[in-house]
Amino acid sequence: MKGKALVMGSARGEALVSRRAFTFAHGVDPSTGVVTDVRSDVRGMNVKGKILFYPFGKGSTTASSWFLETVRLGNNPVAVVTEAVDLSAVIGSVMAKIVYGKEIPVMSGITRTAYASLKSGPRVFLDATRGEVRAEE
Amino acid sequence: MLRGELGEARQLAMEIVSKVGDAVGADELVPIKSAHVLAHYSSLHDAGVDVLERFAESGGRFAVPTSVDPASIDLQNWKSFGIGEDYARQQFRLCEAYAKMGGMRCWTCAQYQVCNFPKQGDVVAWAESSAVVFVNSVLGSRSNKITAGMDIACAILGLTPRFGMLLDENRHAGVAFKLGLKGLTDLDYRSIGFYIGRNAGARVPSLVGLPTSVTSDQIKHLGAGAAAAGPVTMIHFPGITPGSRTMTDASRGERVEEIEITRSSLSDTEADLNQTSEFPDLAAFGVPHLSVNELGELARLLDGRKMKKGAKMYAYTSSQAYDMAERTGISATIERTGARISHSTDAEISPLRALGFSTVLTNSAKLAEIVSSEGEIKVGYASQKEIIERVTS
Repeated sequence: MKGKALVMGSARGEALVSRRAFTFAHGVDPSTGVVTDVRSDVRGMNVKGKILFYPFGKGSTTASSWFLETVRLGNNPVAVVTEAVDLSAVIGSVMAKIVYGKEIPVMSGITRTAYASLKSGPRVFLDATRGEVRAEE
Repeated sequence: MLRGELGEARQLAMEIVSKVGDAVGADELVPIKSAHVLAHYSSLHDAGVDVLERFAESGGRFAVPTSVDPASIDLQNWKSFGIGEDYARQQFRLCEAYAKMGGMRCWTCAQYQVCNFPKQGDVVAWAESSAVVFVNSVLGSRSNKITAGMDIACAILGLTPRFGMLLDENRHAGVAFKLGLKGLTDLDYRSIGFYIGRNAGARVPSLVGLPTSVTSDQIKHLGAGAAAAGPVTMIHFPGITPGSRTMTDASRGERVEEIEITRSSLSDTEADLNQTSEFPDLAAFGVPHLSVNELGELARLLDGRKMKKGAKMYAYTSSQAYDMAERTGISATIERTGARISHSTDAEISPLRALGFSTVLTNSAKLAEIVSSEGEIKVGYASQKEIIERVTS
């Protein structure tokens, strides 16, 4: 599927797909990577090493810092893909590069139909530079 | 601007701001009149300390007047509130980095009542979702909800990408809420906001039916409730919001969906936020910060009463309102009951669990929403009057 690259790079990993609005702020425990938000449909899952998909962000403007703390502790997703632009992910990723030298590509603009076909579990390859996400062979 | 001329901090800031500008399709960066940033340890964590120190040590200085959200500790009386040394040390590192960059020592989430006063038409770059609603809806200035990291970058550059709520076409109301209820309580204002936030979706809402006696404090709490429940960054209040004398002005003449707010909408909202009726170990007022007027009202309600055993009551406010309350005897009245005023910090960003609280009772929809999504502390949601009746005698 195609999307718009917001932060360049490529990554591979298992897909973790949230159907509901998602936030790192008060929603992911940075010391483990586990989703703790009681209103999340992926509560109890771990974002670490995953290609994280969610339709859109929500909540506190501090989400980018919570995201960055998962990076500092090595519990971050390896890429983030959304339907609507989530500035927290963009800013978190830009700061991750500046402060910790880690590249975490971010994409948005996945169509609703393409999004509906996604499932948690299968391994995917993401090439933000080409605006592409595909199943890994 | 050439990269080499910027200095390291401004280069980093430009990298963040221009990436965000690209992501949202902004056509240009525009000057801002003020900034409001975040520097509290509970949400910024050690990574946030790394970021702020990196900016401060590489020459970052704020280009515009900049205020800051509350800290995670009472910056004066933190020891007496039970905060540990290690936790305080990290918060003070954030304070020092912020001060080094030239920020105002005004640690509040109601900066528009204390130290940061944009006028109609000004473009600002503010973090703090409740303040963004106030600045767009009441002052008629323009701000997007600026995220941590980008807040500091905009303050250093004195610039922000032109998108979202800075553009006329995104500021018209797309849904109209109608209120026909009389005799609104403090809790009703918060619940109305929360209900709007839940039901407006991505549309800018308008609201008619507020009494003409409505105060800026009541609108502050209404807006905070809305921003806590959804992506709301502006509410048109016809007759209050600059440029919106009527509902038709607010929607620029378009016909939009109308939603009636009934007594049962508010009861459902209350039931959703009120998760326990257990006796609380903390009764919390002031998310967002109470003004000195609200502290005075609290003092009148508390006068002559005593806290019951087992409960604490904290009223959160700015340092400036705290000083005024000290000088006018308001603090003395509140403290005689056994309640305390905590300044420069706020409940939702202080380490409540580490301080030993397991059940919190509040009239703040914002605090109730944040505490309940973390799922570690039980939260009760009730009016100020009811809370006082339950925890004092």
